Amino acid sequence: MTTKKRERLDVIKDIIQTIKDNRQIKPTRLLYASNLSPQMFKEYINELISKKFIKLDIDGKDKKTFSLTKKGQDFLMEYKVIESFIENFGL
Amino acid sequence: MSLSSLVIEYKWMLEVFYALAITAICMLVVLKTDKFYKLSLHQGIRYFRNAFFFFGIAFVGRYVFGIFSDLALHSAFIVGFFFEYFLIMAGFFLLYSLIWKKIESPNETYLTSLFNAKIMIFHGMALVLALLDKTLQTYYFMFFSQMIIFAYASVLSYKNYRKNAKHDFPKFYFVATMIGFVAWTINFLAASYFEWHHGLLIDVGLMNIMFFLLFLYGVVKVTKK
Repeated sequence: MTTKKRERLDVIKDIIQTIKDNRQIKPTRLLYASNLSPQMFKEYINELISKKFIKLDIDGKDKKTFSLTKKGQDFLMEYKVIESFIENFGL
Repeated sequence: MSLSSLVIEYKWMLEVFYALAITAICMLVVLKTDKFYKLSLHQGIRYFRNAFFFFGIAFVGRYVFGIFSDLALHSAFIVGFFFEYFLIMAGFFLLYSLIWKKIESPNETYLTSLFNAKIMIFHGMALVLALLDKTLQTYYFMFFSQMIIFAYASVLSYKNYRKNAKHDFPKFYFVATMIGFVAWTINFLAASYFEWHHGLLIDVGLMNIMFFLLFLYGVVKVTKK
């Protein structure tokens, strides 16, 4: 059986979708759910935070969780259109 | 009065209108695709957006500023040089949006898509081609580069059409790139063998408008879903 390598856009969508489904999620759980290597996971997360798709919340007990921003929610809503755009234009 | 003589009579007005229409189409495509790039961070969308940004600058520069520079500043050389440079860059960006996946690694990201290491090669080539044309007082370097770019883009868009037959737009994309190729070829023939025949140049202008309208149609159609 062969598996198709996930495109970058699919990885981003999977990460954001996982955060949305959980509302708030711990970094370790998100790493497992993303199915990425720790190094790749860090790169994607840093980019998503810097582009304001997700944010890292730290509570009083120093517990870290990721949550979705408005931009991240917009991305999920437009994902199908973006995917269709890429296929239609051969990008 | 024939269509050709009408066009000649009101040439500068038509040229400004033509440039503004194409620039408006390009800006609409840029605005729509910029929104999708910012959401997706997809490099292909980014390069596609850049192509239409450069097409827009080229046309507004050539026909709108060009008209005033002809009248006031006599700087046709500079206007012509930058028109060619931006137009060649637009062609490069359009082609690169179709092949970037074969050249860049999946996680390669750049701070800017206008001046990164790979795109600098295109800037260099566009500058050299535009400079050669202006120095030798020809248009052949621009014509040949665009004919090659659009021929290659036609082949790639045809492959995409065959691959994505379930979608509507790939066939229009293929038609648009073919129109682009034919328009550049007629432009070359008009310059080389027909002394810039007005009828042929009108055909080229109409084909250019069709080319841009097809892309606008695709962008609007796909993004309104």
